[in-house]
Amino acid sequence: MAFLHGLGMVCILLGIPFFVSGTIGLLRFPDIYTRLHALTKADNVGLGFVVLGLALQAEEWNTVARLLLIWLLVLIASSASCHLVARAALRRKIQPWTRP
Amino acid sequence: MPGKFSCSSFPSPILLGRLLVRLSLFSVLWCVLAGLDGRSWIIGLPAVSAATFCSLLFAPQQPCPVSFLGVLRFIPFFVNLSFWGGCDVMRRALSPAMPINPGLVRYQVSLPEVPQQVLLVNCISLLPGTISADFTDQCITIHTIDRDMPVWSTVHLLERRVAALFGIRVAGGRP
Repeated sequence: MAFLHGLGMVCILLGIPFFVSGTIGLLRFPDIYTRLHALTKADNVGLGFVVLGLALQAEEWNTVARLLLIWLLVLIASSASCHLVARAALRRKIQPWTRP
Repeated sequence: MPGKFSCSSFPSPILLGRLLVRLSLFSVLWCVLAGLDGRSWIIGLPAVSAATFCSLLFAPQQPCPVSFLGVLRFIPFFVNLSFWGGCDVMRRALSPAMPINPGLVRYQVSLPEVPQQVLLVNCISLLPGTISADFTDQCITIHTIDRDMPVWSTVHLLERRVAALFGIRVAGGRP
């Protein structure tokens, strides 16, 4: 049990750099489209590690199932909202930034 | 869809099958959310019935069968690619030189049914280096963070995997 607890902690700690780099990307990247890349992908992997870590530490089966469900719903919501934001930007003729 | 219920006095076997599948899925979901306490079904039963009714109401008319083996193969493929997607964007965000070279790419979809296309469009946003920016007339506009990445072949691979998930094969796909 202690081993699973430790492994869970390692997974949660692994997730943090992804969240941090998603936020750094949001601040550093030049336009709306590239910022969406940072937010959707990095946060999804970060959340994946945090959910995995918490699932390893969970006491009951339905906590694990609930955590997986949260991850799945966030996954769907983030990819759908990413698509909608990018589509709205494209239809307002916001030009993607290109390397000069 | 309500017409479908009133047209015939008996529900068709297909509809009955879909109803039972959805009813059991939502019941399992309720057990996950509320635990195994029997009293929770005072709220659970109306909630599960309402969820089943709504999901049948909004379900596409044509059922889109999912291959179980395809799902099992798709999950590790998807987890692997989305992990590398996260690593890729992390590298670009943290590198002092910020190695990005963004641009738009178009991709012609050959998946036949709408649910399959929606799944493809949503998965593209979690692949390394691509987000789906628009989807009209079987054509996905993809924003890539690096134009030197093999966007077309990655999306084509994903499309073949999505097709396998539904137990079908796709031939083409053009850039």
